[in-house]
Amino acid sequence: MKATKIFDQGHQWFMFGRDPEKPESIIDTNQYMVVAGNRALLMDPGGIEVFAPMLGAILHHAKVDQITDLFASHQDPDIISSLGLWDQALPNAKLHAPWIWEGFIRHFGMNNIQYAAIPDEGSTLSLGSIDFEFIPAHYLHASGNFHVYDRRAKILMSGDVGAALEASEAPLFVEDFDEHIPKMKMFHQRWMPSNRAKNDWIKRVRELDIEYMAPQHGRIFKGDDVKRFLDWFEELEVGVAVQTEVHQTD
Amino acid sequence: MLQHILPTQLLYLSQTKTLAMITHTQPVEDKLVALASIAAELHSVMEVAWGVSLAAKNAKVISAQSGEKGRGFQPITEFIDEIAQQAMNGVNEINHEALQLTRIAVKEHRSIDAYRRFDSVREKNHEAHYIQSMSPAMQRVEQHMLASTKVFKKSLGNLTRLLESMDEYMLSARAIASVSRIVTSNAQEYSDKLKVVADDLDKAAIYIKDKLSDSYTHLNNVNMHRHRHA
Repeated sequence: MKATKIFDQGHQWFMFGRDPEKPESIIDTNQYMVVAGNRALLMDPGGIEVFAPMLGAILHHAKVDQITDLFASHQDPDIISSLGLWDQALPNAKLHAPWIWEGFIRHFGMNNIQYAAIPDEGSTLSLGSIDFEFIPAHYLHASGNFHVYDRRAKILMSGDVGAALEASEAPLFVEDFDEHIPKMKMFHQRWMPSNRAKNDWIKRVRELDIEYMAPQHGRIFKGDDVKRFLDWFEELEVGVAVQTEVHQTD
Repeated sequence: MLQHILPTQLLYLSQTKTLAMITHTQPVEDKLVALASIAAELHSVMEVAWGVSLAAKNAKVISAQSGEKGRGFQPITEFIDEIAQQAMNGVNEINHEALQLTRIAVKEHRSIDAYRRFDSVREKNHEAHYIQSMSPAMQRVEQHMLASTKVFKKSLGNLTRLLESMDEYMLSARAIASVSRIVTSNAQEYSDKLKVVADDLDKAAIYIKDKLSDSYTHLNNVNMHRHRHA
C-alpha cells in the first residue's frame, strides 16, 4: 500500500491507498493518518481486507502504540469493518464516530476500544496542540456522518464527498478538474440522497479555509480545485435514483 | 542449553509454536456446524420429554382413579415425571453450554484471524522502522488465543459430561419402563392404559438415546471431545 505524506509542518498528514495487492472486486479506499507529537489519529481506517497492508504501511511512519485515536466518518464496511482487528492491536484507543451508529459499528467487534460518540452538532479532538474539528456532514451519504477539519494544515478529510470511482493506480491529486467530473458525477448523484443536506454542508464548508480536500475514494483536491468542486457540487442534483423511478413509472 | 538462546530467538520460537498451533486448530466453521447440529438434535428431545411429562401426569390421574388396583403404579408416575423434567433441564443446560462454546469458538477465531494478519504484517514489513512495536500486540493476541483454547476445552468437557448424564437418565428411564410393565399387570382394567404410558416412556428413552448418540457423532466428527462415549 502506498503511503504519501501530504502535509509536514509541525505535524504530519499521511494518505494511504492505491494498494497494488488489493483484490479487484473491492472498492479502492483512501485512509488517512495524522501524527502529532507522540499521538496519531487514523481516519476511516478501512475494511478487513486492507487491514494488514494498512498496518504495514503505518509502521514505516508511526509506532502501534502511538495510534491513540480512530475516526469513522460513518458505519460503512469500507470505512470501519477492520475495527475488530484494530480492537486487538490498539486496546487503549478511542474511536470517534457518529453517536447514531454506535450500536451498529459495535457489530464489527469492539471489546477494548472506547467508543467516543460524536454529537450531531460535531465536536473537537485535540492531539497535543492541534485541534481537529468533526464537521457535520449528515446524509452525505449516511444519516449520521462527519468530516475532519484541521484548521492549521487547512485540510478537510471529506469522507465520501469528492469521491471518484476510478482505477486503483490513478494519480493522488486532481490534475484537470473538468476531466475529473465524469469520474465522480454518478457517485455523488446516486450515493448522496439529499439536495437540502448537500447545500447545508456546502454553506458550512465554504466558511472554512481549505487547501486540501481529501476524500475517501479517488483523488485529493487542492487549491482552487476545492472551490471548483464546491461550485460543481452545488449545481449537481443528487438523490437521482428516486427520480429515475418516477420517470420510469410515468 | 537454554542459557544460549537469545530473547529474540525465544520470541521467534514462541511465534513458530503459535503458528503451528493455529495450523492444527479445527476450522471454526466445523465447530459451529457441529454445535448447531447438537442444538438441532436436542430440540426434538425437548418435545419428546415434554410429551413424556404430560403422559406421566395423565398416568397419575389414571392410577388415582384406579384406587387399590393402581396403587403400585402411583410412585412410578412420580419417577417418570421426574425423568422427563430432568431430560428437559438437561437439554436446556446442554444448549446453554453449546451456546457458550459457540461464543468461545468465535472469539478464538477472531484472535487467530488477528494473529495471522499481524504475522503477515510482520513478515512483509520487516524493514519498517517501527515493526518492533507490533510485538506487544502479537503477544497479547497470542495470550487471548491460548486463554480461549483453554476455556473452550473446559466448556467442551462440561458439554460431554452433560451428554453423559443425560444418557444415564435414559438408562434409568428404560429400567423404570420395564418395572412399570410388571406393575401394570396388576392394575386389571387399567392395565392397558398404564402399559401405554410405560411403552411411551421406553420409546422416548430409546429416541433420546439415539439423539444423544448423534450428538456424540457431531462432536466426534470434528474431533472435539476428548472422551468418546462408549
